[in-house]
Amino acid sequence: MVAASSSRPHRGTDGEEPSDLDLIREMRLGAEAALEALYRRYGGLVYTLALRIVGDPELAREVLQDTFLSTWEGREAYDPSRGRVPWWLMGIARNRAIDLLRSRSHQARLRERHDGPSPSNPAASPLAGAPSEVALRAVVRQALALLSIPQRQAVELAYYGGLTQSEIAQQLGEPLGTVKSRTREAMERLRRLLAPLMDPKRTERERD
Amino acid sequence: MIDGRDHLDDELAAYALGSLDASERADVETHIASCSACKARLAEYQTVASVLPLGLEPVAPPPEAWTRIVVATRARRRRPSQWLAAAKWPAIAALFALVIFWNVALERELSRRSPGPAPGPDVEALSRRPGRVIILAGTGAPASSARIFAAVDGGGHLAVSGLTTLPRDRAYQLWFVRSGAPATSGAIFIVGRSGRAWVKVTTPASLDDVRNIVVTEGPASGSPAPTGRELLVARPWP
Repeated sequence: MVAASSSRPHRGTDGEEPSDLDLIREMRLGAEAALEALYRRYGGLVYTLALRIVGDPELAREVLQDTFLSTWEGREAYDPSRGRVPWWLMGIARNRAIDLLRSRSHQARLRERHDGPSPSNPAASPLAGAPSEVALRAVVRQALALLSIPQRQAVELAYYGGLTQSEIAQQLGEPLGTVKSRTREAMERLRRLLAPLMDPKRTERERD
Repeated sequence: MIDGRDHLDDELAAYALGSLDASERADVETHIASCSACKARLAEYQTVASVLPLGLEPVAPPPEAWTRIVVATRARRRRPSQWLAAAKWPAIAALFALVIFWNVALERELSRRSPGPAPGPDVEALSRRPGRVIILAGTGAPASSARIFAAVDGGGHLAVSGLTTLPRDRAYQLWFVRSGAPATSGAIFIVGRSGRAWVKVTTPASLDDVRNIVVTEGPASGSPAPTGRELLVARPWP
C-alpha cells in the first residue's frame, strides 16, 4: 500500500489545496502541519459525528482527539484503495464513539445528568465548509429525506446508536427479519441515490 | 448459515452500519472472502455509511481540542523508544489500522460474552488515555494473538484470544523482558472456554529498556521469572 502511494509522486496543483492523499504523504514525512490541515478539513465533521453518537460535548471532544491521534499514529497504515481519507477518519471516530457509548461508565454518567445530553453547543457556529462539501451535504441530506421514517430510524439506530439488528428489533418490538430487510432497503436506496460517490479511486483522481 | 442472496444483502447492509454481532460478522467475512460481487456491494454500502455524518447539522469543535492533540503528539515524539520506532516497521504499521477495528470488535465481544470480569470503568478510562498498542503474535501458540495497550503515563491492559484453558493449578503470565535487569511480571491470568481474557497490566516504570514482551505458562501462583515456552511474543523492532 505504501509502495502504491509512493509510486505516484506528489504533484501539487498551482493555487489549489493539497489533496487528502498529499496530506497523508506529508504526515508520513513527519509534517505536523499536514495533520493540522487535515484537522481543519475534517475536525468539524468528526466532532459532529461524535457528538451525535455520545450526546456529550466533553466526550465528543475526547473522541475527536483520539481520532486524530490515531490518524497520526496510523498514517503509515492508511490504504487509499480501501476508501477515501474522510471515510477512514469517520470509521475510526464512529468505532471510538460507539465504544464509549456502550461503556458502562458513560451510561452511568448520562443517567446522572437530570437534564439529559445537550447535543448542540449554542456558542459554536456552523462550519462554512468548502463549496464541494456544502454540495455534498445537500446531496446526503436529500437522500436521507427520501427515506421513509422507519427506514431512517433503522439506519440511525444502527449507525449512531451502535445497536445490533437484534437489539433494534427488541427495542422496536418488531421481528428481526423486518428490521433486517428494512435496513437493507434503506441502504439500497441510499446507495442508488448516492451512486456518484461510489468510486473512491475516480474521486481521488479528480482531486489530484 | 447465509444461503439466499436476499439474506446476504440484509447482512451486508447491517455489516456496513456496524450493526451485526460477532458471529454474524464472521459469516459475512467468510462469505465475501470468496464472493467478489458481495465484496464490491459491501464496499458501496460502507461508503454510504461513511457519508451519513454529512447529513448532520455541523457543530464546530471546541478550540482547545486541537491544542490537546498537538500536545499529545509532541509528548509521544519526545519519548522516542523502541516502541515508537516500531510504528515504522511495516508489518506492525500494516496491522495498526486493523487493530483499531479488531480492538473495538474484540472488546465489545469480550464485554458481552466473557465469563471473566467485565471491563470496569477503570479499564475504560485507561483505554481513553494516550498510549500505544503493542501486538503479540502467537509464536508458541499459533491460534492465539494479543494486544497490549500501554498508557503513556503508566498502566495498561492486555486483550488476548485463542489460548487454551488450563488446569486449575496453572496460569498464563505476561512478562516484560528487560536488558540488564530481571524480567518483570505484567499480569497473571487464565482464559475461559472462549479462550479469551482481558486483564489489567502492570507496566514497568519505563518501556525503554524492555527488550521483549512474552506470555508463558506456569503455576497458578505465578513464577518469579519466565519459565517454559514463549507462547506469545512481541518483537516490535527490526
